[in-house]
Amino acid sequence: METRSQPEQTSVPAGEGPMLHLDGVHKSFGDLHVLRGIDMSVDRGNVVCVIGPSGSGKSTLLRCINMLEPPEAGRIFLEGKEITGAGKGNVDYVRRRVGMVFQQFNLFPHMTAGRNVSIAQRKVLDRPKEEADAKSRALLERVGLQDKLFEYPDRLSGGQQQRVAIARALAMDPHVMLFDEVTSALDPELVKEVLDVMRELASEGMTMVVVTHEMGFARDVADRVVFMDDGAVVETGDARQLIDNPREERTKRFLGLVLEH
Amino acid sequence: MDVFFEQYFDLDIMRDNFGYVLDGFWLTVQLALVSGVLSMIWGLVLALVRAAPGRAMLPLRGLAITYIDVLRGIPLLLVILLIDGSLPVLDFVPMWLRAPDFLGKPEIFWYGVMAISLTYGAYYAEVYRAGLDAVPYGQMEAARSLGMSYPKAMRYVIVPQAIGKVIPPMLNDFIALMKDTSLVGAIALVEVVKAGREIQAENFNSSALTLGAIMFIVVTIPMARLVDRLIARQQLAMRQVAPQ
Repeated sequence: METRSQPEQTSVPAGEGPMLHLDGVHKSFGDLHVLRGIDMSVDRGNVVCVIGPSGSGKSTLLRCINMLEPPEAGRIFLEGKEITGAGKGNVDYVRRRVGMVFQQFNLFPHMTAGRNVSIAQRKVLDRPKEEADAKSRALLERVGLQDKLFEYPDRLSGGQQQRVAIARALAMDPHVMLFDEVTSALDPELVKEVLDVMRELASEGMTMVVVTHEMGFARDVADRVVFMDDGAVVETGDARQLIDNPREERTKRFLGLVLEH
Repeated sequence: MDVFFEQYFDLDIMRDNFGYVLDGFWLTVQLALVSGVLSMIWGLVLALVRAAPGRAMLPLRGLAITYIDVLRGIPLLLVILLIDGSLPVLDFVPMWLRAPDFLGKPEIFWYGVMAISLTYGAYYAEVYRAGLDAVPYGQMEAARSLGMSYPKAMRYVIVPQAIGKVIPPMLNDFIALMKDTSLVGAIALVEVVKAGREIQAENFNSSALTLGAIMFIVVTIPMARLVDRLIARQQLAMRQVAPQ
């Protein structure tokens, strides 16, 4: 594990300002006002965990950041460039820089693990086959699945599938990784292997926005924690400080409920 | 009872006309294969147009839906007669389409292929649609999140899965298509049923038609069993995958 090469993110020039900046982001589905003016900033190399009750808009927030759900109002900046507003190029710009991992894995079931990781490299980045295959092998090794290269997803456990999904997103050399409750669909004994991969990614300096119910992970790994409720950010702070000593009443109540068991 | 067997199972008539009926059946098979492939391609095009997102595609979507509704709503025999009767005299239609002679086949063969493909394309479009709808939306999102454009996501992720899901119903439709090729006999193409009818008229005996039916069955029953087996295998796979 120690011999792994440094991730490519470290070679990206530092650039100016935060990696990700959200300014008054709104999103509705019909009458349902899911995001009510989100302000948020994520610094380069930081891990931000977003916590909150279900239905608070956490997942929608991630989907706005990578333009799966374009916001209706507000502005989002990625590495200093505004990605909201008109322009088809924005979507390409975002998707080439932002990787996403989903709760339900969403691996392509008709492809082997290796092809899941290589397909977008080939068809989107136009990497030659040898290069894409080599990168896929290296990434699967990095998530501990070097022996599953030729397995189909239905032959893998949930934890293994999710690690393939992480490798698949990393294959595009993203500058930011978004994690949408990636352990929520897993059996308890499989959660750790996925969180371990994410921990390692964080320690290598990847910028990450993690929607999670894993408070232990948030406390240990996150630089900052954002608590959302009812489509708004209620409280933001240093991870340990926010989880151990929340200021807001709603945060206390939520943490009381999730930390009870 | 003797008269029953004589009428339907006269072995002498079957033997004497076996070659002729088989020639007709071979034509039926050729018609079915060529139209089957063309229908599947045309049906996929229709289904993709129908599924295309966005306001800009609205008129095309409407056109595809109308086409599918109309062609499923009129009898194939009528389409065959419409094409055969008047396509040859439509002077604005290019000659290769008006009087096609690909693969050394007569024009009526190709009129039959056109009519079957136009009609069955509409049926196949509906089958593909069911398949496209059955692919979970998360697949499209995952593909898009990896930077794939909509067409690339369809091509590499969605359509291959959709086709995998609809192979059994597509084979079912192919069996129906194969039987419907007999309607092309109405425009003087001697496929198996027409061959049988000619012999029936000559001999006042239906055994040649029975022979044709047997030839159909030899091909269609194994296909029907294959469909059943594929469905059973899919259901088994679903049961294994479903719980996390």
